[in-house]
Amino acid sequence: MSGGKGGRSNKEVTMPKFAETVTQQGIGLARDVSGLGYVPYYGPDVAAFSPQQEAAFRGTDIMAESFGMPTTGGAQYMPQAQTFDGGIQGYSSAPAFEQSVDQLAMQRPGQAAYLESFTVDPMTGQAGSRSGARQPVALEMQGGRKGK
Amino acid sequence: MGASANPAMTTNPYQAAAQAQQGAMGRTAAGLTETAAQGIGNYQNPYESQVVGQTLRDVGQQALKAQNTLGAQASAAGAFGGSRHGIAEAEMAKGYTQQMFDQAARMRQQGFNTALGAAQADRAAQLGAAGQLAGMGQQAFGYGQAIQNQQMQQGAMQQAAMQSLIDAARRQYGGYTAAPQQGLAAMFGGANLTQGTQGSSQTYQPGLYDYLTLGAETAAKVYGM
Repeated sequence: MSGGKGGRSNKEVTMPKFAETVTQQGIGLARDVSGLGYVPYYGPDVAAFSPQQEAAFRGTDIMAESFGMPTTGGAQYMPQAQTFDGGIQGYSSAPAFEQSVDQLAMQRPGQAAYLESFTVDPMTGQAGSRSGARQPVALEMQGGRKGK
Repeated sequence: MGASANPAMTTNPYQAAAQAQQGAMGRTAAGLTETAAQGIGNYQNPYESQVVGQTLRDVGQQALKAQNTLGAQASAAGAFGGSRHGIAEAEMAKGYTQQMFDQAARMRQQGFNTALGAAQADRAAQLGAAGQLAGMGQQAFGYGQAIQNQQMQQGAMQQAAMQSLIDAARRQYGGYTAAPQQGLAAMFGGANLTQGTQGSSQTYQPGLYDYLTLGAETAAKVYGM
């Protein structure tokens, strides 16, 4: 704004309504999405050994046994494979992940709580205390008539 | 394992290989210190002594006949019991005795050589069979390995197919959970299109000095100043 010969000159930057709408919606969406947090995967990660492979493993035992060498004795190293929908047989990392999360909460509860405060509560769906929507705001740059 | 699939199969290739190897090693190891002479006894003619004895008796009979003939000839010549008769009998006995020794020695030598040859041939055959057994054991081991490798390869193919299914499901799940971010990205992409649509408006409110200036300029035009 500038004055000349006692008058007042006012210049305003304007934005079309549709553009302002989509900008505000986008910022709101970003704020909400930022609170989503990590979404774990509980499905299978690694395929189980096939029956043919299991047979080959037993064959190795039989080979060793035939020549008087040590065998596994049928001991299993891998955990029992899970059967998922569709007949998929495999192993999921979810149990190990859950254990790690629980372990963190037990060993370092403060840090775990701080970490979770940024995102939505996975059980209740409530936004975390430090999520974007709950961040404090102090508007200081709202000059002009529209900012009042 | 294999017996259930094939009831006729009573042993697996690895057991066969191990048994063959043990057999071959045992026979070969025994052959390291063994000589053919140790096996001769197994191949000597059990009737050899009887055959030799019969031969000696036959020669003895011939000697006896020759002695009788010599006695008859001596009697006919009126020299029976004389010194010449005695010398002739002694020479004849010496000849037949030598013949008996020679025949017995030849027969026993032949028996020994036959037994020695048989023992040597037997030993060579057994060592050859041991080598063949070792080869067959190796072959049986190879069968087992080939079957196992085939199982591993086919099994790995099946596992890979299963892993592909899992990976596909994971990708779909990743797409599902990333949908909000995808939507956000799309929205900001659209918002970027609005850049450049900004406009500006400028307004001016005249002040007192503006009006005085305007009045002075108007008066000057009116009064020709």
